[in-house]
Amino acid sequence: MSTNEKTKVITAEQRAEMERFQPMWKIVLTQFFEHRMAVIGLAVISFFIFVALMAPVIASITGLDSERQNALNRYKPVNSYVTVSTDEREAKVTEFIRDHAEEANSLQAELIAKGLVQPPRPEDALFDLVGKDPQETLKILSQVNGEPALHLTKIVNNFESHHWLGTDELGRDVFIRLVYGTRVSMGVGILVALASSLIGLLIGAVAGYYGGFIDTLLMRLTDSLLSLPILPIQIVIAAIDLNKVPGLGFLVGDENQSIYKLVFILVLFSWMTVALLVRGSILSLREREFILAAKTLGANDSTIIFRHMFPNVVAPMLVSVTLGVGESILWEAALSFLGLGIQQPTPSWGNMLFNAQDLMTEAPFLAILPGILIFATTISFNYLGDGLQDAIDPKAIRR
Amino acid sequence: MTTYIIRRLIQTVVVIVLLSYVCFSLMTLMPGDPVELMIQSNPKITSEDVARLRTLYGLDQPSYVRYFNWVKTIAAGDLGYSRTYRIPVSELMGPKLLNTFYLSLASLLLSILISVPLGIYSALHPGSKADNAVNFFAFAGISVPSFWLAIMLILTFSVYYKIFPAGGTFTIGIDENQSWDYFWDRSKYLVLPTVSLSYQSIGRFLRFTRSAMLEAMRNDYIRTAKAKGLSYTRVIWGHGFRNALIPLITILALSFSSLFSGAVITETVFAYQGVGKLVYDSIIGNDFNVAMVSFIISVAMVLLFNLIADILYGVVDPRISYK
Repeated sequence: MSTNEKTKVITAEQRAEMERFQPMWKIVLTQFFEHRMAVIGLAVISFFIFVALMAPVIASITGLDSERQNALNRYKPVNSYVTVSTDEREAKVTEFIRDHAEEANSLQAELIAKGLVQPPRPEDALFDLVGKDPQETLKILSQVNGEPALHLTKIVNNFESHHWLGTDELGRDVFIRLVYGTRVSMGVGILVALASSLIGLLIGAVAGYYGGFIDTLLMRLTDSLLSLPILPIQIVIAAIDLNKVPGLGFLVGDENQSIYKLVFILVLFSWMTVALLVRGSILSLREREFILAAKTLGANDSTIIFRHMFPNVVAPMLVSVTLGVGESILWEAALSFLGLGIQQPTPSWGNMLFNAQDLMTEAPFLAILPGILIFATTISFNYLGDGLQDAIDPKAIRR
Repeated sequence: MTTYIIRRLIQTVVVIVLLSYVCFSLMTLMPGDPVELMIQSNPKITSEDVARLRTLYGLDQPSYVRYFNWVKTIAAGDLGYSRTYRIPVSELMGPKLLNTFYLSLASLLLSILISVPLGIYSALHPGSKADNAVNFFAFAGISVPSFWLAIMLILTFSVYYKIFPAGGTFTIGIDENQSWDYFWDRSKYLVLPTVSLSYQSIGRFLRFTRSAMLEAMRNDYIRTAKAKGLSYTRVIWGHGFRNALIPLITILALSFSSLFSGAVITETVFAYQGVGKLVYDSIIGNDFNVAMVSFIISVAMVLLFNLIADILYGVVDPRISYK
């Protein structure tokens, strides 16, 4: 820009293109798409939001359960197969025989007739079959035709689970926990950013519009909250026992209790930047002619604030909401990492890291993965915010 | 100027008193009190004993009465006794404060030393490849979770390469009087925590330096200075950087609070014996006296540094006058 102000020779066509009228949103959109990193960030965020929304679908497709523990298969490496214990397999077969006695009988007869299994007693044929390695069982079953074999194949398929990203300290699948963690972390991040910007919007608008004593009071509050070391205070609040707080006892025992508490704590300390920003814009808007016009026409305060002022602060707020999501995800992770945020068994990126600390030298992958996801999401939100800032800033409009 | 400082000092004291009350009442809401812990450790305790103990410790009184009692003992110079460390709080705080001071100072220096030159360089070459790289470095800094960075540093430099210790403050048993060895030992333990604590502020400072410098170099007086025939360095440092300093000091002042928040996490991950870890441990461990004192000291420190930074504005920017 300012440093390479070389004269560029342009054709008449280009000139006409530049001088053509463009609506504001088109300018903003074009400028946004020129910011390559912001576009990449948007793509990454869309992907994560998609994953978060589709988490139950992903779980049902892969057949994995985010909370199913398996004490025998803790800290499995990446891309490992885990086989269900023999006891559990035999229990499943017993169930199969009990529920579908006819199918089981015909299958048994066929297996023995074809000589695929050599059980000591004929009624043990199916148990003998599943006692083998699941892959081998499936191979044998594929040689048998008919409905019963297909039915059993379905059951045998569940005997072996594939853990693309290994298992964690309780033998739970890391991949599906990361997927559900995306849901929790992104959800908390977005919720906190939206809620705190709403509060900031209200406080900033009231302070800026009314001025005087209210302004001084609210701004002192904002300033002092901004200058505090937030984390120690958050730790104190996070450690509160809800049983001792009058009126909040009903939350105790709710499985999402830790999430509500975390969102509350984060919102409490993140509305200040938005409040300052909104107050600043409202202060300058207050002196503008269109506000005077609205006042002259007899509009009351709420109409002026909501109808005439808010549309003008939405754009800068969008930027701070975007940046706020990234920051909230970081805070959520930090508090969960200290063991004060979202509690087990609900997975979040932060508490997965907290648990990974215990055996971080033996299973470093458990610590690396959630961190990478936190990093990728946060940096995407930061770049997106930067891109939006560039795109909607009237001073930066390049035509 | 003096009246301004006095007014700000009074404000700071008021904020600290208010916060200490808020914190005190919040802590009464935390699970477990001293008597409950005694009940757990002594199965023979009777309910009469419990009631007597509660009266003895004043736990049966409302929180504001207990707060005033607590303030009275603090004012008398008695900071109380730590339940976990089994020593008076006053003896506990000194070395921990010093440790945190070393850590924060080292990381503040490191972040300024890295971010200011890099930021100025990228502001003078906007749009270049180096600028993009610096930008990414800065964005990564503000986006990386500091505790994760800490874990990665430990994995790389102390588990895999074994260059630096994984955690702690100094080698146990080292002679504190042999100054050079002691200094060397302490420095070794400081490297990883400092790096992990600094990276976030490096990112933030970098972005601010860059935009402040860009803004400053766009001003008319820069063109005037160039037109006068001043040397390049003089224009950059004397005219550009001098004006970019003002927003920089703002962010530097605000960074004390985030630096302290970061210190809580960093010290916890590295088991570094500072105030941040003390705040965390005492709150989690229900060590009431330590929690209150360390909390108040940390808040007071942050607020005091903010005040110092505010006063520094006046020095850097002659346009600001305090009335």
